[in-house]
Amino acid sequence: MLSRRTKWITGLAAALLAFGPVSACASQDSPASGESEETPSASGPEVLDVTISGDDASPLGKRVQVGVGQTLEVNIEADAAGELHVHSKPEQEVEYDAGESTHELTFDKPGVFPMESHDLGKVLVTLEVR
Amino acid sequence: MFLDAHGVGGAKDLPIPAEYAIAGACAALAISFTVLALAWRTPRFNVGARPTPAPRFVARIVDSAWFVALLRTLGFAFFLYVASAAIFGKDLQINPLFGVFYVLLWVGIVPLSLLFGPFYKAISPVRTLNALLAKLSGTEPGRGLRDYPARLGYWPAALGLFAFVWFELVYPFNSELWPLRLWCAIYIAIMLIGGAVFGNRFYEHADPFEVYSSLVARLSVWDRYDGELVVRSPLANLDLTPVKPGLVAVTAVLLGSTAFDSFKESSAWLNLSQGGSANANWVNFFGLTGLIVIVGVSFSAAAMATVVKKGFRRRDLPGAFAYSLMPIVVGYIIAHYLTYLVEFGQQTVIFLSDPYSTGANLLGTGDRAINYWLTYHPTFLAVIKVLGVVLGHVVAVIAAHDRAMKLLPKRHQLTGQLAMLMVMVAFTIGGLLLLFGA
Repeated sequence: MLSRRTKWITGLAAALLAFGPVSACASQDSPASGESEETPSASGPEVLDVTISGDDASPLGKRVQVGVGQTLEVNIEADAAGELHVHSKPEQEVEYDAGESTHELTFDKPGVFPMESHDLGKVLVTLEVR
Repeated sequence: MFLDAHGVGGAKDLPIPAEYAIAGACAALAISFTVLALAWRTPRFNVGARPTPAPRFVARIVDSAWFVALLRTLGFAFFLYVASAAIFGKDLQINPLFGVFYVLLWVGIVPLSLLFGPFYKAISPVRTLNALLAKLSGTEPGRGLRDYPARLGYWPAALGLFAFVWFELVYPFNSELWPLRLWCAIYIAIMLIGGAVFGNRFYEHADPFEVYSSLVARLSVWDRYDGELVVRSPLANLDLTPVKPGLVAVTAVLLGSTAFDSFKESSAWLNLSQGGSANANWVNFFGLTGLIVIVGVSFSAAAMATVVKKGFRRRDLPGAFAYSLMPIVVGYIIAHYLTYLVEFGQQTVIFLSDPYSTGANLLGTGDRAINYWLTYHPTFLAVIKVLGVVLGHVVAVIAAHDRAMKLLPKRHQLTGQLAMLMVMVAFTIGGLLLLFGA
């Protein structure tokens, strides 16, 4: 009796195993770039536009990919002066004045770093550096 | 410029590659069913033979009065040092209190307890304070005014752990000094009152850090048998976790909060919590509580989805199986906080040299640089994470299987485990998805 049950369960396991990877792979269009240790040799800067007015900001929670060593160009349009904190290693700050301004950031370590306005208490962008 | 900067860095690891997540998920699934189909049919852990005594010299040191006193003194000296930074230090990011609280204590508990057993109990500053107060008043520290009510079990610890994760993950001013001071002051006050009323039994059940440490220590090789120091396989040791009310809640808080920590960084959650008109703190509060409830309820439902032996109450099953979630908790914590522990831990050791932010270098660690080796090797890190999660899952499944052999009626030992197995697989795949996609 036990062996029959064992067989049944093994069969179920085999079916799930066969089905699992197939469905997982089918839903994936392109293979993810797993070799994140290779530094992307992107030459041009990544551009990011940020708008801040009052208690509102845009974007809110967007993900932006940047290469290690690549320049991130942040164009800020703000109605008042303020600061953005980037929780990278080590942390970086962007101080901006009212009006339009452009700032450049680079990252020497990979990771996922939120860019936050502490005045608003909001995460504007999450930077994915690889 | 440091004034309003966060005390705890928001930096996270890169997501693990998709192939790793899929491979980990498939391994978890395959191993689960292999265990179910092929593993032993009679309970194997802690049946019969006496455990192996620990090596004599280890036992002699651990049991000696001077060693116990030394650990207590070191623990209390460290506590006083950090407390002085909390009281006299400045509200700056470089105040070591933040790192000691969020990293060395909270995350450090896991590896230290895995290696050395219930270490927090040995160094617990609140136990030391209680003992000192008892000495002053001429009472016995082990005994309080009343017996600790058994039906409370671990519930006070579950509440304390929730208070911690809420403070760490939801409370918006968690990187400022005064709220953290207040949190610690309330913790110490409750611990001292509880210790005075219920004696040392209170700390075993209600001190969130001690309960966390002692539960993880069940996965170490150290235990006591008739007062003697013994070594056991971590699986056999885990099997002896005391079954008490509130254990499901403790594991649910630990697992749910770790999941929430990843989840709240995702774009989807950021859009939801920040985009609408709702207060982000409340949204995060409900997100955290929701995940904890989902973990607790789905686990309990799965544990109860079986036929039980005559005379055994179905609602006792979640508690009886809850300990088997601890390995999943430990695997999750290692995967989520390894870099944080290693890198912010180093940062904290550096900050500890300057407790009052005066530029001092008291411990000689102030001019050390942080080693970012882990961050520079994301592939290695991803492998460690997937291995941690999958290994935790395997140990959990084996533990639950052995318990099922003990508790479930013979005819339902296999089918009775299916729901539990599926929930564990879901937790593990969920954890891998968060590591991959958050």
